[in-house]
Amino acid sequence: MLSKFITCGANANYANFTNCLFSKFMEFVKFEKFALKKRCGCHSTYCTYCLPFILLLCCSLSVAAEPADIPGSAVLPNQSIFMLDAGYASVHDSYLTPITYDGIDLGLSIEATRWVNRYRWLWQLGVGAGYNYVENNAQNNELHKVMGDISFNMQHAWLGLIHPRLGFSAGPMTQLRAGIVYDAVNSNNPVTVRAHWNLGATGMAWFNPLLGRLPITLRYQLQLPVAGVFFAPEYDESYYEIYLGNHKNLAHLGWWGNRFDMTNYLGADLRLGKTVLRIGYRNRLEHWTVNNLHVHDVTHSIVLGISL
Amino acid sequence: MLSRFNQTTRTTINNKNNRVFFKNVVPVVQCCLCCLILCCLCWGCAEKDEFERDQVGNFEALWTIMDEHYSFFDYKQVDWNEVHSRYRALVSNDMTDRELFDVCGDMLKELRDGHTNLIASHDVSRYWVWEQWPVNYNERLIDQHYLNFDYKRASGIKYQILPDNFGYMYYGSFSSVIGEGNLDLILSYLSTADGLIIDVRDNGGGYLTNVETLVSRFIGEKTLAGYICHKTGKGHNDLSEPYAYYFEPTKNHIHYLKPVVVLASRGSFSATNNFVSIMKSLDQVTVVGDTTGGGCGLPFTSELPNGWRVRFSSCPIMDAQGRLTEFGVAPDVRVDMDEDDHTHDAILDTAIDILARATAAPRLPQRSNAKLQQQYDN
Repeated sequence: MLSKFITCGANANYANFTNCLFSKFMEFVKFEKFALKKRCGCHSTYCTYCLPFILLLCCSLSVAAEPADIPGSAVLPNQSIFMLDAGYASVHDSYLTPITYDGIDLGLSIEATRWVNRYRWLWQLGVGAGYNYVENNAQNNELHKVMGDISFNMQHAWLGLIHPRLGFSAGPMTQLRAGIVYDAVNSNNPVTVRAHWNLGATGMAWFNPLLGRLPITLRYQLQLPVAGVFFAPEYDESYYEIYLGNHKNLAHLGWWGNRFDMTNYLGADLRLGKTVLRIGYRNRLEHWTVNNLHVHDVTHSIVLGISL
Repeated sequence: MLSRFNQTTRTTINNKNNRVFFKNVVPVVQCCLCCLILCCLCWGCAEKDEFERDQVGNFEALWTIMDEHYSFFDYKQVDWNEVHSRYRALVSNDMTDRELFDVCGDMLKELRDGHTNLIASHDVSRYWVWEQWPVNYNERLIDQHYLNFDYKRASGIKYQILPDNFGYMYYGSFSSVIGEGNLDLILSYLSTADGLIIDVRDNGGGYLTNVETLVSRFIGEKTLAGYICHKTGKGHNDLSEPYAYYFEPTKNHIHYLKPVVVLASRGSFSATNNFVSIMKSLDQVTVVGDTTGGGCGLPFTSELPNGWRVRFSSCPIMDAQGRLTEFGVAPDVRVDMDEDDHTHDAILDTAIDILARATAAPRLPQRSNAKLQQQYDN
């Protein structure tokens, strides 16, 4: 039974291989169910379904067929990935407190990638929301940071320059991020609003190797806003004064002299047929100094994703 | 099954392809990792705090926070550097948290500011000067002898029409949010009264938005409420230009434009002080009682490395004449209660008397406070 299945995988490209994998799965389960029952006499769910699945997964990863050297194998597929970020966050906002808080970072996002103009250009659209729960060192207070963002970039791609499976791309990007940081115990400065719109550059390098027969994409991407507009109150200006109508000096031109943002992403996409599983690492930095206020936020997160 | 699996695996894996794979993947991954690590090292590290977490570090943090954020050093003529040298000598890393707290609390009292507190798990340091002044308010006395325990209550406001046909409303805290609908019902009920007494004695303040909500019912046109400014930098005199702010009558709601008397005491602090200062500038309003407790700096909060919080005056708010009211708003008619008289509230009696005269005459004399004061002194 298993050899039949492996033969099926070896003769097909990977998409067909995976379809075949799932269509044969239940048949395989029936076969193995009987065999395993005979072996261990167990009727558990693990023995009935999980163990065969694990065996199949091992087979699919290890016994894949020879990769075909197709043209354009450096191409990233058009895809939309839903991602979950989880990791470490550090928040320093001198409007709220001079103390640096640290804690956990959680985020949800969707990233869509599409090719245009015969694989010369690609665009990416990202939409996400993040939440930081951070505590002070004394562990008697916490900040809540909630941010939403939307970004779009258009990148020119260079495929197969150094290696047939290696690609590079770079291009302009724009990003809108907004949210709040909330401190429950502060009196008239309990919250600070974060909002900025940036123009900048982004670049990617990726490599599409085969892990056995499993196609994967290793990708590094840097998003680097260069200039933009962002909101910040004056040094000790209360939001009550802003509410009363004093809107002077709230919008600031951001550039690398007063503001630096950066997002690094390094990850791998595992292509299981039409389904893509993503695992990676994301580092995000937001740093600005204006009106004698100082902000320095950092996150380091593990990224898990699945294609939509 | 597993042996067959292993055999098949061995036959299908192409060693040459694997070598190519690793030969190409590893340098790319290495490059990416190097870029990432360099970037993270340069910029991605968490911010380091400026002060140590020991006792001296906490003291220095407190002094620095106040030095950079407090807004009344010059107004109160406090030499903060001199204060530092005097109190720094009392601090060492050997002292306990309570000892440090006491030293820090005493240092903050040098600022003579009711809005300045050091807040720890075990105590709150304070300079609540009104605790030392006559209370000038007795709730039980009013409930029993003026309201006969018969009053309405909505949005934190106690209200009733007194036998002389003057409305009375007591608002005990500006932290109690006033609903516009509730205020409509209150003023609707009191609209038949010939005059209104707004009692904000012993009201320690709260939300400034409630001040606007309440004042907006007693003005007929856009009115200058005062000026507000804020610190723009770390220097003691780094203050913004005062920003004039106005209140407008609330549209489509009930307004009360008959004579009004506001009762104030030393316990009328912070937002209440602001309320009294704005009401005092209105023509139909007379303020009776004691000078308010002051507190015209909008307080901000900051934090020490050990987790203690410090609250301090940060944004000065001035009255419509551009004067700071940090030390209180003087009443139009100064009256104290007789502490031995448990049946009469002299301040409330004076308010009733003023309203009686105002409603008997065609109009309350505008800003004839000196004459009014002299009359009541006699």
